[in-house]
Amino acid sequence: MFRSRSWFGSGLWKPKNPHSLEHLKYLYNVLAKNQIVSENNRGLLVETLRSIAEILIWGDQNDSSVFDFFLEKNMLSFFFKIMKQKCGSYVCVQLLQTLNILFENIRNETSLYYLLSNNHVNSIIVHKFDFSDEEVMAYYISFLKTLSLKLNAHTIHFFYNEHTNDFPLYTEAIKFFNHPESMVRIAVRTLTLNVYRVEDKSMLKFIRDKTAAPYFSNLVWFIGNHILELDTCVRNDADHQSQNRLSDLVAEHLDHLHYLNDILSLDIEDLNQVLTDHLLNKLLIPLYVYSLTKRRRHSQLEDTKPHVSSVVSLFLLSQVFLIITHVPLVYVLASIILTGDMDIFSQGASENLVSYRVAQGTATIKPGFVAPTETLEKSLESSTTCSIDSTEHETPQHAECETGMDTQVGDSEPSAVAEDGTVDSIEAYVNITDEEKEQRLALESGVAPPLPLAGTSSGNSSQQQFLANKPFLEMIVNTLQCSENDYAALFALCLLYALGHNPGVNRDLLDGILFLSGRESTKHWYSTLLAERLIRIISTSCQPNCRVRLVTLELSIRLLTQLVMKNGQSYLHDAHLAAVEGAKEESTCLLRNFYKSEEIFLDMFEDEYSEMQKRPLNVEWLMMDSNILLPPTGTPMTGIEFSKRLPCGEVERARRAIRVFFLIRELSLMLAMEPETQLPLTNPQSCVHVNNVLDLNNSDLIACTVATKEGSKIRRFLVIDVIQLILVEPDTRRLGWGVAKFVGFLQDIEVTGDKDDSRCLHITIHRPLPSGSSTNRVPLLSARFIFDDHIRCMAAKQRLTKGRIKARQKKMHMIARLLDLPSNVQPCPSPPAYTVLAHRHSDGTNSRSRLAREPGHHRPLFTANNKVPGFATVAMRRESLPPGRMASPAKIRSDSQERHARNGHVVRSREGSPRLPRPRSEEIPLEDMGSKHKPRSGVSGTPSPPTEVNNGASQFPLKRPSFPSLYPPAPVGTPEPPSPVAVSTLESQVAEVETERPPAPPSEETSFTQMPFENGVLDKEDRKTRRRGMVETV
Amino acid sequence: MESQPNKQTGWCNGIAVDLYSGGVGKSCLLLQFTDKRFQPVHDLTIGVEFGARMITIDGKQIKLQIWDTAGQEAFRSITRSYYRGAAGALLVYDITRRETFNHLTTWLEDARQHSNSNMVIMLIGNKSDLESRREVKKEEGEAFAREHGLIFMETSAKTAANVEEAFINTAKEIYEKIQEGVFDINNEVCCTFLLNLAS
Repeated sequence: MFRSRSWFGSGLWKPKNPHSLEHLKYLYNVLAKNQIVSENNRGLLVETLRSIAEILIWGDQNDSSVFDFFLEKNMLSFFFKIMKQKCGSYVCVQLLQTLNILFENIRNETSLYYLLSNNHVNSIIVHKFDFSDEEVMAYYISFLKTLSLKLNAHTIHFFYNEHTNDFPLYTEAIKFFNHPESMVRIAVRTLTLNVYRVEDKSMLKFIRDKTAAPYFSNLVWFIGNHILELDTCVRNDADHQSQNRLSDLVAEHLDHLHYLNDILSLDIEDLNQVLTDHLLNKLLIPLYVYSLTKRRRHSQLEDTKPHVSSVVSLFLLSQVFLIITHVPLVYVLASIILTGDMDIFSQGASENLVSYRVAQGTATIKPGFVAPTETLEKSLESSTTCSIDSTEHETPQHAECETGMDTQVGDSEPSAVAEDGTVDSIEAYVNITDEEKEQRLALESGVAPPLPLAGTSSGNSSQQQFLANKPFLEMIVNTLQCSENDYAALFALCLLYALGHNPGVNRDLLDGILFLSGRESTKHWYSTLLAERLIRIISTSCQPNCRVRLVTLELSIRLLTQLVMKNGQSYLHDAHLAAVEGAKEESTCLLRNFYKSEEIFLDMFEDEYSEMQKRPLNVEWLMMDSNILLPPTGTPMTGIEFSKRLPCGEVERARRAIRVFFLIRELSLMLAMEPETQLPLTNPQSCVHVNNVLDLNNSDLIACTVATKEGSKIRRFLVIDVIQLILVEPDTRRLGWGVAKFVGFLQDIEVTGDKDDSRCLHITIHRPLPSGSSTNRVPLLSARFIFDDHIRCMAAKQRLTKGRIKARQKKMHMIARLLDLPSNVQPCPSPPAYTVLAHRHSDGTNSRSRLAREPGHHRPLFTANNKVPGFATVAMRRESLPPGRMASPAKIRSDSQERHARNGHVVRSREGSPRLPRPRSEEIPLEDMGSKHKPRSGVSGTPSPPTEVNNGASQFPLKRPSFPSLYPPAPVGTPEPPSPVAVSTLESQVAEVETERPPAPPSEETSFTQMPFENGVLDKEDRKTRRRGMVETV
Repeated sequence: MESQPNKQTGWCNGIAVDLYSGGVGKSCLLLQFTDKRFQPVHDLTIGVEFGARMITIDGKQIKLQIWDTAGQEAFRSITRSYYRGAAGALLVYDITRRETFNHLTTWLEDARQHSNSNMVIMLIGNKSDLESRREVKKEEGEAFAREHGLIFMETSAKTAANVEEAFINTAKEIYEKIQEGVFDINNEVCCTFLLNLAS
């Protein structure tokens, strides 16, 4: 911005050194001569003001005489004089910025005191700037904020005048508490907090007596209106059109709660009383809790009282309990929700609560979400300018309440309010559907809930009492029924969770409701009703096409364990346990459906497991996500994380089934107090790690040179273990032993020949699982392996390709075992299958964390199966074509476009979640059936009609009507599959799937013949373009 | 609730985050950028907590507002709100003090949790004039930035080296996001830079 420097020629002597007392004297002269702001001297004044700041800071750091001169000449008064003229924003902004710089940078305390001492600063604070100019506003408010950062027990007296009861810094600032610009609001909040934390009794008394009631009542009104806006946004946005807006509103509400909590956490008793009082009676009770009884579908019914939908109120209350911990507030609120009735809106609270709240001084205002009688500005004016006798009406009430518990708060209330309350409670009963009425009746008459009641008869009666005349708790519990979907249920779960985890909520209050009862008479009892509702959600989750989201399931499970477990001990009744086990069965059945139906099943399975382990549900974060406020949706195009929406398409259904299986399995193991022994599939303890020393006598070693892209070349021996590829260098100390220098999983490798050099292989080893939050897409190793001759090269290639298939098959067997699939499903030749099974077992029984096995440093490598490639290949081929595991007709019918679309789904869905897709997961097929036969199709080149392949049961059914059909057919009756036609069909499929990357020519037979072909090149071109297409769909 | 940005120019709020407890580093950067008339002088350090400046990107005038969050760490609500309201953040560490660099990860996690996921974060190694006392190599800063998807630059508030570039590059990135529509125009045209003291 151009700033005039025309004053250079003004004729006054200007010292050469800009940082000197002389220069300040000179600037003083300039100011003195230009006391009237005009068009002409504006630039000059701005530069003068700027230079003054600079010199003063310099003086503060280097020469105290500079500051003395400034004070002596009372130069601050010039500032004020300039300000009083209509000087325009140009000068104003500079003035404020100069002051800002001054107060920000002055280190010398005495200088600071002098600056503040003559009350000029307060005059500047109360000056009415042109706040419609947003720049002036921004500079002004940050000036106030800067000042508030300088507040302490000493400086406070420059701002707060005890005698005049005047605190302009604070009172002027809070007038902007609801400024439309968020940064201004934040600055105001910062300032208030900075003020509150100064320990000065008289100042705090002023704040409490003169400003607290007006400020807080306006603040809660502001917050309340804000949530009404939020509610409108939710109501009007069934189609997820205004996600951004909604997310702002939700974040804003969180900001408010955090701000309130920050104030409450400062622990200023008097202030907290007023704030808690206002929050409870003017916001939380009359708006949040009141709205609990408002079912969304009845919103058309007339209700003159402001309210939000019950879903929104559950959501907001969850946030309240997750953030605010101030005991008097959360205790009262929790008691009301758990034990309160409709009278609360007329009387403020039930009797025992009244006494508690009176003691706390938080029951002085009659409940009601109503606008403050006057604007904050007006109330501040009246309360700060008028003398003590005209103190606002609420203060004496406080005094009364504090003096005695006998004060009848209800007495002071006009009868109209009571009537209002009565009307409301009736209305709440009217506003229910017949279905709900039935339930209500059932509950009230103590009829057993759907699942058999496991409690004793006294348990029954306590059940009856559980919800009797507790409309809010009843509403929450009833919301847990996911009849249509889990939209509201999720929030009810969140609220229960938040109640249970708030440190301020008394545990006694939750005894037997959210936790096992600790009372002697009812030791280890729990609320059967709640348990049953939770179990119902869990079993519903296992139904195909159910509308319960993963996050709801996970939260239900967490609440259930919290409800029935104590110190790792489960007190779940047998009937309930049976229901959980039943759910586990169903989840297993559900997953069997998907077993093998997709090539990426294994990758998904492992990926989901690690995700689940790495990212357990965080309810605080969940409640920060505005997306869940909108009705649950399936499409990933909303950008909503997978666990927070319904699955879209078969692949996501599979993922969901996997996750449900894991979650319920975990629950079942936990309830049984058994450790997990079969997951994860790869036991890191049994893997070779870098720098392990291995006994390689009698192992197949293939010498090779590993050339990386960076140009390094290292001589290594390639060892192919059961599940790992290992590069070793000889151990210098022991003959025949080697040190592992690199390890990678065979299941993650990709091998291609080199068309120019028959001794070379290009090997890429991908990362097993996305590591940490930063998804590293770079492969573990991508290098050219040069072997001694082409025979060895070919052998290596065979073994790697085969190793990959076997490693994957092995894991598929493990999954089959987890799913209780009959082992004869896989018609494998017995010896290899046996070995595989044995291995699976040994791997499976040692889970990562629970049963640590001694690190096997010197383990002989398992090589038996890999010795004779030819034999193994034959075995593999037989193994790899079990009829039951053939691709289903449905799959084959799908043309390539569909396939692409589906792959696209995978990618997109993963994109929707915060983690990035594991690079290979959607690309690598389980090659066991298709890839082995690639050579044949490559050679014969016969594209085949997809008609022949109808053998075997559909493993990938589009509709899944019932479970029995899920079991793959017994191998006995199935026709021998590998007819050439069928195979080539499969092959073409596989080729499609592989398009995204240079395919690993899966078999030894073709690797050298296929590549040089011209159509091979064309193929590559084709692949490239397709690959691009893929990327675009991402 | 919404900010009311000046639609013609487009306000950009940003936050500059400073990882050193000394604090002067970032506010000096801010003053250096917002008011060029303060010539860097050897024996004078001046900082400021708020500044605004108009810059031109693609022929469009964009007004940047830069807020400093220093001194408010005690209040969770304040840091939270600042991060949320900002379109960009300058994450500043001191190349002569290793510990300021070591704090980056913690800070980043915190910021990512609170902030708009689209917030543009620029990592700045400040005090590049003090080469002799350097404790954090430039490559380390680069690597960190690459790993976490940040823009990186080394600056010197003292000599004004790269200060202009740092702010302008961040603003450009924000501007691109506005063009792409990732930032909600109603809300985010007003972008704040945040300055914070994280250590």
